[in-house]
Amino acid sequence: MTTTAALEQLATYRAHNSRASQETFQKGLPLFQRNAYKKMGDDAWSFLEQLALASIDMGRYDIADQCLKVLEERFTGSPRVDCLHGILMEATESPEIALKYYNDLLEADSANAPIWKRQIAVLRHMGKIEKAVNELSQFLDTFYADVEGWLELADIYATCNRYENSLQALSHVIVLAPQNPFYLLQAAETAYTAGDVPLSIRMFLMVVDMSDGDDNEPLAESTPLGITVRAWYGVKLCSRRLIRDPEHASVSASQTDTPKNVALLDELATERLRIAYSSAGKKGDIAQGRDEVFAWVAAP
Amino acid sequence: MFGRLFLVVATFALIHAAYSTYEHLSRLKALNRPEGTLPLNAVYESVFALILGILGAALNAPTLKDITWAGEMKKRTIDEMDTRLGFANYNTRARHLLYPNPKS
Repeated sequence: MTTTAALEQLATYRAHNSRASQETFQKGLPLFQRNAYKKMGDDAWSFLEQLALASIDMGRYDIADQCLKVLEERFTGSPRVDCLHGILMEATESPEIALKYYNDLLEADSANAPIWKRQIAVLRHMGKIEKAVNELSQFLDTFYADVEGWLELADIYATCNRYENSLQALSHVIVLAPQNPFYLLQAAETAYTAGDVPLSIRMFLMVVDMSDGDDNEPLAESTPLGITVRAWYGVKLCSRRLIRDPEHASVSASQTDTPKNVALLDELATERLRIAYSSAGKKGDIAQGRDEVFAWVAAP
Repeated sequence: MFGRLFLVVATFALIHAAYSTYEHLSRLKALNRPEGTLPLNAVYESVFALILGILGAALNAPTLKDITWAGEMKKRTIDEMDTRLGFANYNTRARHLLYPNPKS
């Protein structure tokens, strides 16, 4: 792969926050060893940080050490470099040592956001969930606009099966990032798991609205793609629950009303799923599993 | 293709109008009448070059990109929405899977 193409790919990974450590390492290592990063200007430092994290993820602590040395020479005493030090410590030594390092840094400066996040991450992965949740709640009280933090809180609650709390955290995420249908989908699925079926069906329909939507094509002729299919699955699940069990399923903890035409929604979801798995050619690449899907949507 | 053609024609027309104005004015200067008006043909030619150049530049522009949020979200995948890199776990099995027999 040419140097320019590799650099572009790495820049895309940085912009999209993807954690593709193996590809990053494979593309970035030759650039680092040939010292090509010196010609990159200001991007060189973010590239070095990215390569350091990817090498730690791949187990190559020697490369990470070298990247860290170059960064330290340039940015002595920077909180981001301290953070990288800490991450290397987490990977190579015991978590208690890394925790002590972070606690010392936090005593010196208690509003150091990246270090605080690492401390919370170490606490969670050591298994000290209550302490992690307390620290994370304090962190989010201080830094409300941190979408990552609210997502992490939602994830911790979901792994402990506390789905209502997870939904509350996700509602903050939706307030902070209202244009993102992926978080709305996560919230809809969490609401369904928490038992709030009317809220969940409304959220799934909102996801369909946001993610489907080639304005040039009328709805009847368009094929659902991507997360729209997942949202239609959600609508089908919810409508099936509401039809089979109207008294219990329509009791909503958030006092949401059930939509009026649930049977019609059920039919629409069935039809959309059939179309999604039926189209031939490039748009219909997800046609595997077609028979199973058709059997499932047809069952009462 | 039309855009580039129009742009080339407009450039030539403008250069031609400019050169003919220059010749006209130097002729007037040679005849010792330096305050003559610009020849009307050159004015018409440069206005024509302007209009044709605008048309050519508009047709030659690259196709418009979709910069709506919906268009941007269509290009993302669900995996990269959930990475939470600030809280990621870096204490993985990679060392033991990929380099299981350290030399030291």
